[in-house]
Amino acid sequence: MIVAAGGVLAYFFLGVVGIVTGRGRLGGALAILAGVVSLGLWAPGFPEGLLGDPPWGIPLVGDTLALAFWSFIPLVHAAVWWSERRRPSAFHGLVTLLVGTCMATVLSRDLFNMYVAMELGSLLSFLLIGYDARSRAVWASLQYLILATVGMILYLFGVGLVYGTLGTLSLSRIAELSPDFSQPTLAVGIGLLVAGTAVKAGVFLVGLWLPAAYGEAPAGVATLLAGLVGKMGIVVLARLSEALPVGMVVAALGLFTALGGLLYAIWERDLKMFLAYQVVAHIGYMLIAFGLGGPAFLGGILYAVAHCLFKGLLFQSAGQAVEAVGERDIGALAGKLPRPAAWGLAFGTGAIVGLPPLAGFVGKEYIGAVAPPPFSWLAVLLAVGAAAAFVKLVPLFRATSSEGDWGSMGLLAAGVVGFSVWGMASVPHVWTMDAVGKALGAVVAGFGLHFVLRRRSPRLPTVSMDRISVAIVIGAAVIPLALLLRG
Amino acid sequence: MEGLTAALMAIALAGLGLWTLIRRRNAIWKLLGLNVASGGSILFLVAVAHRPEARPPILGMGPGPAADPLPQALVLTAIVIHFATLALSLVYVIFLTERRHTQDVPRLERPRRRR
Repeated sequence: MIVAAGGVLAYFFLGVVGIVTGRGRLGGALAILAGVVSLGLWAPGFPEGLLGDPPWGIPLVGDTLALAFWSFIPLVHAAVWWSERRRPSAFHGLVTLLVGTCMATVLSRDLFNMYVAMELGSLLSFLLIGYDARSRAVWASLQYLILATVGMILYLFGVGLVYGTLGTLSLSRIAELSPDFSQPTLAVGIGLLVAGTAVKAGVFLVGLWLPAAYGEAPAGVATLLAGLVGKMGIVVLARLSEALPVGMVVAALGLFTALGGLLYAIWERDLKMFLAYQVVAHIGYMLIAFGLGGPAFLGGILYAVAHCLFKGLLFQSAGQAVEAVGERDIGALAGKLPRPAAWGLAFGTGAIVGLPPLAGFVGKEYIGAVAPPPFSWLAVLLAVGAAAAFVKLVPLFRATSSEGDWGSMGLLAAGVVGFSVWGMASVPHVWTMDAVGKALGAVVAGFGLHFVLRRRSPRLPTVSMDRISVAIVIGAAVIPLALLLRG
Repeated sequence: MEGLTAALMAIALAGLGLWTLIRRRNAIWKLLGLNVASGGSILFLVAVAHRPEARPPILGMGPGPAADPLPQALVLTAIVIHFATLALSLVYVIFLTERRHTQDVPRLERPRRRR
């Protein structure tokens, strides 16, 4: 535990020193090294312990979830470091701090510590999204910060109510007290915790700041956000549903998010916005798995890791393509892409639609195999929908120019391949003819569906900040009420 | 009783802040609403720490029961975070005002024209 905490502190220290001394790039490289060494030393995992003197210490735990995230965090950081290596050192310092925040979040088992980590993550991503000082990105970033802060205010109210009722902030201690919802203050408090985190996690409607923020961010930042930082809200929701009986609420939110994100993704024509709406759909998928708990929880972890890698790859390719061509529309981009971007998009698409044996397949089939009926049917539906949405990227796979940057693409693609090989070796029971057939069938069905859907272009309601704010207020009323009624 | 009053005040403040955030079109008004709402959340944590007849939780402040020190420690962190959030957001609003010549949110979020 000391080693893991040391790794996080090394990250923070190197980030701050990098910004102050103007050696952010070197600091970032050293931090990646420190992260790998620290992970190597605590890789068997560690039981929950207190950092500091009891009873006031901060509980940390090195369980499967934390280990899974730590195992690829240095890889994603290295890819971002390479793709943005020409940036000034302050940028690299901020990235290092942000990655350190993510490392701290996944280790944490304390309500308030998670709050601090999430807020710090919001502030740092806010600075990075607007880093290029393009007014659109600045607006997206401002909207993100305002809405995430609203979510965190709800979370703080939840923290107050839970602490006032139970007298502790440690999630394991709360789980030992096995809270039920017969106490109204507790039900409302836990409801507010879930509602507030849902805003940060990017749940459909309340978290729709996400597409604009990810779509407008510079290439490397979008890779980091979609790959890593965006998972932090989900990690907190996973921790909450681990310790508290809110699993079904989280799974229901996930269901809604998956369908809503897919609906918006199918007809979106802006490449980066399309990928961002697709992120929303996959967030829903992960929330279903984490909410169902039990064996599905492990499936959720697998899927989250796979998603970090291939979504990072897709955003990296899309960012490079958009920056090289100067267009964002998928139709306008077709046939103009540099080779690394085109190949990255092709490989990432194969992984995300779940073509066996690539990364998406392992996670999807694992969840599909253990989820109970309504959710497992939905898993098939989502696979078909994702394939249908991604078919429109096919014209982009043909490259025209050969220049471009292979480095970060190669790192992330190697991560996807590594995860696929690891998945084949360690989750062999996914590899049945049935599952492979189902996955291929979903892709073919999606291909067909694409040509049916292409003729229609429905007008979806536009997403504006005021509508999201209203949705947050409604969510903050409905979720606690639902828990109250169950109690 | 004071604790309950403070908690109700906190909820009222948060409601007021969120109402301003939703109703006003101007970005600075929205940030002010956000700040009032975050003030509400801070007051709420202080209210949770309240105990009847309590003194401030500082060593050497005399005998008698002290208020719960933990939420008060949390509040310090939350105040710093909210301050940083407000300051950084205002910097971005200044930038947007210079670049887009408006602080009106519906105009700021108008979609990109398709070429």
